[in-house]
Amino acid sequence: MLSLAYQTLPRIYWALLSLLVIGVVWLPEFRTLSNFANILDQSAASAILALGQAFVIAGGLIDLSVGQLVGLVVVVSCMLFEAFPGLGGLVVIAALMLGAGVGLLNGELINRLHMPPLILTFGMLSVLQGSIFMLTDRSVGLVPGWIGTLSNGRVFGLPVSLILVAICALGAWYVLQRSIFGWHLLAMGNSADGARKAGLDLAATTRIAYLVSGLAAGIAGLLVAGRLGTGFPNAGNGFELDAIVAVVLGGTPLKGGRVNVAGILGAVLFLGVLSNILNLLQVPAFTQILIKGLIVIAAILMDRPGQALRPVRRVGRT
Amino acid sequence: MSGGTGAAGAGSRATWAQRLPSLESSAVWLVLIALLILAGFISPAFFKLNYLMNLLRQATPIGIAAVGVTFVMVLRGVDLSVGAIVSMSAVVCAMVMNGQPENLWLGIMVAAACGTAVGLVNGLLIAYGRVSPFIETLGMSIVVYGLVQMGTGGTARGVVSPGFREALNGRLGGILPALVLCFLAAVLIGLFVQSRTRFGRGVYLAGANPAAARLAGIPINRVTVIAYALSGLMAAAGGIALLARTGVSGTNAGSGMEFDVLAAVVLGGTTFAGGRGGVGGTLAGVLVLFIALNLANVAGLPYAAQLAIKGLIIIVASAAHVWIGRRGGAQSQD
Repeated sequence: MLSLAYQTLPRIYWALLSLLVIGVVWLPEFRTLSNFANILDQSAASAILALGQAFVIAGGLIDLSVGQLVGLVVVVSCMLFEAFPGLGGLVVIAALMLGAGVGLLNGELINRLHMPPLILTFGMLSVLQGSIFMLTDRSVGLVPGWIGTLSNGRVFGLPVSLILVAICALGAWYVLQRSIFGWHLLAMGNSADGARKAGLDLAATTRIAYLVSGLAAGIAGLLVAGRLGTGFPNAGNGFELDAIVAVVLGGTPLKGGRVNVAGILGAVLFLGVLSNILNLLQVPAFTQILIKGLIVIAAILMDRPGQALRPVRRVGRT
Repeated sequence: MSGGTGAAGAGSRATWAQRLPSLESSAVWLVLIALLILAGFISPAFFKLNYLMNLLRQATPIGIAAVGVTFVMVLRGVDLSVGAIVSMSAVVCAMVMNGQPENLWLGIMVAAACGTAVGLVNGLLIAYGRVSPFIETLGMSIVVYGLVQMGTGGTARGVVSPGFREALNGRLGGILPALVLCFLAAVLIGLFVQSRTRFGRGVYLAGANPAAARLAGIPINRVTVIAYALSGLMAAAGGIALLARTGVSGTNAGSGMEFDVLAAVVLGGTTFAGGRGGVGGTLAGVLVLFIALNLANVAGLPYAAQLAIKGLIIIVASAAHVWIGRRGGAQSQD
């Protein structure tokens, strides 16, 4: 039983387990239920963003603009929430459409301009950041109470955010690893040339992948807005790197062709627990930044054909 | 390194004949002239030599760093850590100088060494670790930022040696700012290296066709390491120039500079596809960038719009060069 688990779980789960053991044994504040719930709440936005990023990375693409897109959604939604107090539901829809719209724009530009996605989304990152600061240079807007429950609330003792993430994860897993679209996406990631010659519509696949990535940013943006309570223009800084690192640590190669949703969730949890432990140990903020940078570098060093991060044996289609 | 739908980077291979001045390489100079004319219409002040010199002074830190990044990009790589290196070198230089006149050169050398060291690590990781330069240098910029913050506790420390700022802010003959001289010196060094050294030739060959270059015996790993180390050194020099211009001004003075540098280099014709472009184009790119941003300022656009403009420039300039490259009669993709 244990050997089966060892062989099929992405390696990140062992790192996660070790961290949990360390935390539970050494830090009394770590063991409380409220702390665990906190970790889940704070990781929720990253998790959804990482799931969205998984779509583009699986297809051999990448989306560096999602961080600032989250920031844009946070600022815009907070402004709208404050301006139209009764129309909360519509604002949510608007936020999701903003995310999806920008994602779609990314996809279209990549299709038409034939630019490497890395460069296009990097430029888009700057465009979005500029847009945020053109809207405001300080925190703006206010979030209605019920959005707060989305990010911080509990239902039957479980965090609402956890349920949201679970639903998104299930959806992502099904689409990426069990549906025909997912199959096409992975084919494109494996070999765009081969996929095109096999007759797949690469443009449409790219478009949808970026749409999902943008939509995920929209959802994550609402979660972040709920957690912050107001619209900070810098709210999204660095989120894209967190998402990419989570995807890579979870065993999904950056060049695409393979994806592992379970691994991504494990990696997000790992990063969340690590951050929590560092906080409880009162490691200074600047040192945590340094550690984060080192993790980014370590993650990509491990994401090489040596397959240090993938399960030993693939069960079914991974 | 570039992901994507297969068209990325697999585009035209420039033969040496096509690398002679063509629409592609002279495009940016044409844009520069057009922009200057446009600027002249908006305000005759643009044509004063003083204005141009001031512009170049502003552009010096970014320009020097851009010279280094040019080599990395010809090599099909990218260096996003330059902003962090600029901040780091400004801080280190000031801290080592500590207000003592005898520490002036020591401060400069230590700062340069730190920048080169970071570049060296970048190069080693990218060449031997075979990781994506984009993500690696992004991660490194976070590491450097964290280190600088840890080392300074978050507040700017250090005092510049007396005479340092005065010397570099002076003007030769009353016209040419010393900083601009440094910028032009960096450009000249860059031009020399790219066309007259084996390293420079190796960079172009490896960027144009890595597999062929390897088969031809070019030590790609060594070339890569040197290119990134050079980029780190240039970024450090840019940081020292920034220190001279603005004095001790915080621990993150170079924040966001990688966008300016990238925009300038891409404008100048050195695209992410590698193998083409060069320092001459980068010089023009820096000029175009700063004139454009200045125009935006004069036109009343908010400062935040500049961020968006830089991003747009990166996208549009890259796409334009892809488009020009395709029209240039080179082989089509795939």
